[in-house]
Amino acid sequence: MSDNVKEIIVNGFWKNNGVFVQMLGMCPTLGVTTSAENGIGMGLATMSVLVGSNMVVSMVRKAVPNDVRIPAFIIIIAAFVTIIDLAMNAFVHDLHKVLGLFIPLIVVNCIILGRAEAFASKNTVMGSILDGVFTGLGFTFALTLLGSVREILGSGQLFGHVLFGADFQPALGFILPPGAFIALGFILMTYKWINERSANKS
Amino acid sequence: MPHFLKMGVILMVVGLIATAILAGVEGITREPIAQSQRQELLNALAKVLPAGFDNSPVEDQVQLADKRINRQAKEVPFYRARKGGAPMAVAFLVSAPDGYSGNIDILIGVDSLGALTGIQIVSHAETPGLGNKIVKTDWPKAFVGKSLKNAKWAVKKDGGEFDQFAGATITPRAVVGAVKRGLEYFAENQDKIFKTPAAESAK
Repeated sequence: MSDNVKEIIVNGFWKNNGVFVQMLGMCPTLGVTTSAENGIGMGLATMSVLVGSNMVVSMVRKAVPNDVRIPAFIIIIAAFVTIIDLAMNAFVHDLHKVLGLFIPLIVVNCIILGRAEAFASKNTVMGSILDGVFTGLGFTFALTLLGSVREILGSGQLFGHVLFGADFQPALGFILPPGAFIALGFILMTYKWINERSANKS
Repeated sequence: MPHFLKMGVILMVVGLIATAILAGVEGITREPIAQSQRQELLNALAKVLPAGFDNSPVEDQVQLADKRINRQAKEVPFYRARKGGAPMAVAFLVSAPDGYSGNIDILIGVDSLGALTGIQIVSHAETPGLGNKIVKTDWPKAFVGKSLKNAKWAVKKDGGEFDQFAGATITPRAVVGAVKRGLEYFAENQDKIFKTPAAESAK
């Protein structure tokens, strides 16, 4: 069991990272990451949905027949997204104002349906929750990293704090949509490089 | 039971359970959401209205509509601030349709002499790092005290007196234009704005 747990953690967070490896959920990844704060907010919101939907999908996996499992999963996911949307609007109103537009899009984030289909529908409740937490953390990590890179290069700030002197000319392109693709490309390159280096060593 | 019917029933049950849970959550969050929205409105009003009024502008509101306030001539609330019953200032939402992306909604406060007491950008979708400097800097402060008579209502590039930003002229130009139209509407309809009884339009 402990090997299994380790595998779930490593796979979810790094080896099978939703953004870096599976290339899923590109819409929020590229769309909201204009700042590190947005990245972390979107990542955590997605993680809450992912943990909830993984848990429920795993609980009902024996009751829902194969033929209708996809629509049933979508209903479960949509219900969780609506709950998160309402809860954020009620309790973290300011963050909701920033991310509001993107919250409903979590429904169509393929990472969530992907984990429901590939993992939660075949595994125990505890395992699915664990998978949800670490896949979610991996997604949050990816979004925060991309958001930080874009915020530093594009506006010279990190989490809203000005980093450089007044002479610094930010490369505005990184805040705009093309910058998202360019920054993600370089991050992917670094990710592959780290993996290859550690593979060569062992 | 035929196969398709069984599947349909299962989906229906899943849907019903989800709906029931959502109805419950909506019931729990309805009050906090309304409260945060009210708080947000109060905060925004406190920023654009001058201090010293002794009524509740949120309750003393009147719904008015005009093409100059927003392009669709949609009714918007006018929040009226009074002192001892005398009109002091009013806050209302103007909408700039000609920004870089989407509408820019601006809450403006105007005193009874027609001078701005403050503006607050309520919502916008302008480019981060360029157009969104209208909220990230203290650019809106430049509007305080300006009226139709004492200011040139255009950005500097167009011969006016309001700053534009390097690489972003469209956004400030749109805001300046919308605020100016709001002031024009106020100047022509001041009596109507202050004298329409609140009860008449309250829902």
